[in-house]
Amino acid sequence: MMDQLVRQYSRSPHQNEFYSEQEQHDLTEGLPPLSLKFSLPPVANHSAFLRAMTDDHSNPNCPIKLAHGTTTLAFRFQGGIIVCTDSRATAGSWIASQTVKKVIPVSRLSRGEDKPGSEPVPGLLGTMAGGAADCQYWLRYLSQQCTLHEIRHKRRITVAAASKILANLTYAYKGYGLSMGTMLAGVTPQEGPALYYIDSDGTRLPGNMFCVGSGQTFAYGVLDANYRYDLTEEEALELGRRSILAAMHRDAYSGGFINLYHVKEEGWVHHGFNDMNPIFWKTKLEKGEFSNVTSEL
Amino acid sequence: MEVLLGITGKDFVILAASKAAMRGPTILKAEDDKTKQLNEHTLMAFSGEAGDTVQFAEYIQANVQLYTMRNDTELSPNAVANFVRGELARSLRSRNPYTVNLLLGGMDKISQKPHLYWIDYLASLAPVPYAAHGYAQYYCLSTLDKHHHPDITLEQGMKLLEMCTDELKRRLPIDYKGVLVKVVTKDGVREEPFDNNRIVKSA
Amino acid sequence: MSGYDRALSVFSPDGHVFQVEYAMEAVKRGTCAVGVKGRDIVVLGCEKRSALKLQDTRITPSKIAVLDNHAILAFAGLNADARILIDKARLEAQSHRLTVEDPVTIEYITKYVASVQQRYTQSGGVRPFGISTLVVGFDPNDKTPRLYQTEPSGIYSAWKANAIGRSSKTVREFLERNHQDEMDREQTIQLTIKSLLEVVQTGAKNIEVAIMSPGKTIEMLPDDQIESYVKNIETEKQEEAAKKKTRTGTTTAAILTRSGGESSETTRE
Repeated sequence: MMDQLVRQYSRSPHQNEFYSEQEQHDLTEGLPPLSLKFSLPPVANHSAFLRAMTDDHSNPNCPIKLAHGTTTLAFRFQGGIIVCTDSRATAGSWIASQTVKKVIPVSRLSRGEDKPGSEPVPGLLGTMAGGAADCQYWLRYLSQQCTLHEIRHKRRITVAAASKILANLTYAYKGYGLSMGTMLAGVTPQEGPALYYIDSDGTRLPGNMFCVGSGQTFAYGVLDANYRYDLTEEEALELGRRSILAAMHRDAYSGGFINLYHVKEEGWVHHGFNDMNPIFWKTKLEKGEFSNVTSEL
Repeated sequence: MEVLLGITGKDFVILAASKAAMRGPTILKAEDDKTKQLNEHTLMAFSGEAGDTVQFAEYIQANVQLYTMRNDTELSPNAVANFVRGELARSLRSRNPYTVNLLLGGMDKISQKPHLYWIDYLASLAPVPYAAHGYAQYYCLSTLDKHHHPDITLEQGMKLLEMCTDELKRRLPIDYKGVLVKVVTKDGVREEPFDNNRIVKSA
Repeated sequence: MSGYDRALSVFSPDGHVFQVEYAMEAVKRGTCAVGVKGRDIVVLGCEKRSALKLQDTRITPSKIAVLDNHAILAFAGLNADARILIDKARLEAQSHRLTVEDPVTIEYITKYVASVQQRYTQSGGVRPFGISTLVVGFDPNDKTPRLYQTEPSGIYSAWKANAIGRSSKTVREFLERNHQDEMDREQTIQLTIKSLLEVVQTGAKNIEVAIMSPGKTIEMLPDDQIESYVKNIETEKQEEAAKKKTRTGTTTAAILTRSGGESSETTRE
């Protein structure tokens, strides 16, 4: 320890006269290095350690229970992109919250938080599935990068570029136990409406429609059957809502409120954060769906 | 369960890759492109670990293009294949190796001969007249062994590919959403139309 | 000079960084390079150093370098310095594709080149790049021609048309007199070559021309085409000179230099 201190302070004054290649690179490089420095526990295998501590599936008594379980969906259609999520966060069998905001606005200089209002807000939307902390942290990091990009390049970042920043990041941390399944949606002049899926394996896929989370299969079931590209805005919003409702109804780890967004050319518009229960009963009683649920005593 | 196929002929290389992108029990995308063009006359198809595949392919692509730009010449398919193998071998001995299987097809600009290379994640490299990766190997190689000939025309090559995909449709227990077909000729790389919707009856 | 020009990252008392100024001197001694923007085209023209008898001109490196498919660069100054800078820019262009998928914009790569040049004016133990560059091309999915200049100090700037290197002042002044907006392909190439001929005596065989169009890669103008442009320009010039001669011969000093009607205008002597 002492040796280290001595060494640290006994360099010749000109030792730092030359910038190393890395330092020179850092000085001019736009983006900071993607692998940020985190303190890691002093164990040989980080991901195994993390799993032992957090995997409630194999060990219900694990000391840390991560928030998991979700249904999120996004799809492109003629009028832009619909993004819809549930709002439940679970830690093991415990419902940790019923009011989670799983849609996160990314890339805005004047980022207005979820203010009520019908004015479209320019920028991208990200969705959250998997570890709540991972998603929140890295989407906020992505927000920073997107804002910096906007300032440096005098134009908004493309969805392709934003998604790639995130994918490179998750790929750099592959095997360290990150858990996220994210979709990025946005409309830019260069690429039009664009939708990307990014997960903690480092996968990044452009596409027309994605459902992510424990309830994905249920959402796909409704969405696939009724999806058309030329859906009207009304129909598209309703389909997004109904698909999430299906997943919230069948998946124990999804529920709470339906969070609905529409991304169009001018920006995204919020279409409500509504309790699923009245919507469920309305759907059942007025349309006769969910006939396996009886309302009689 | 990804399908990669490669067939060479007189003056072409065909590469075909399944279009399904799978994650767990879900097909996330049915129009995925598992190929990357490295330079004007080389094409690489890849499968394997999620994330690794695209990262590795893009890394190779960037380096091959950088080489082209720096030296104002194209690397031959053989040179590219050996470069790719070297990078895989280097990564194999690192902390987290790329788990990627590859087919690399190209036309040699000088000899005007088609080349196809089979490369696996353990960095084995083999020049072959036809190749497959994954379960497709078990079904298609016997078919190709029987019917392939080095002098076939593109038309015959496409017929041969159809025989392979027909067999996969018959016997592979999953739906790989058809294949995306690309062809390398002396004129470069192009996508070749391919009918994936033809229904195949089992005996 | 009392030693201020020795340690590079040190100002002289009156605020000069001499090494940078010497680098600009090296640029002035380099062969001339011209960049001209047209409506949907941008052209680079370069003066080639005349080759020695035994030199193989086919494989001697050109002053015009491809940075990426859609971006090219011409320089004036020290050849060997340029090679290093170009290589760094090429690496950055590929690295940019790798990290954000999109190819670089012309402004981005210019800024990168300029920032590398700047770094070499403020680091210890290095000397600045003895080159100025012209970076031209089209942004991906964009039809606006781009033309930028960078200097040894790290300054970068955007232009409609510009020249760097030997006699660049003469050429720039020529361009200022003759450049118009919205020129078509022919006009742009013609102006490029014409402006170069102001300072290149040996004509077509010492000129090289590169053309960039939207969505296309670099197009080097073949030698015979350059030659025919040069021939046209020369005959045009001769005709003009002949016309001038006859005009000054027949008319009697009737060319007004300034209209006399405007009273508000104050003439200065």
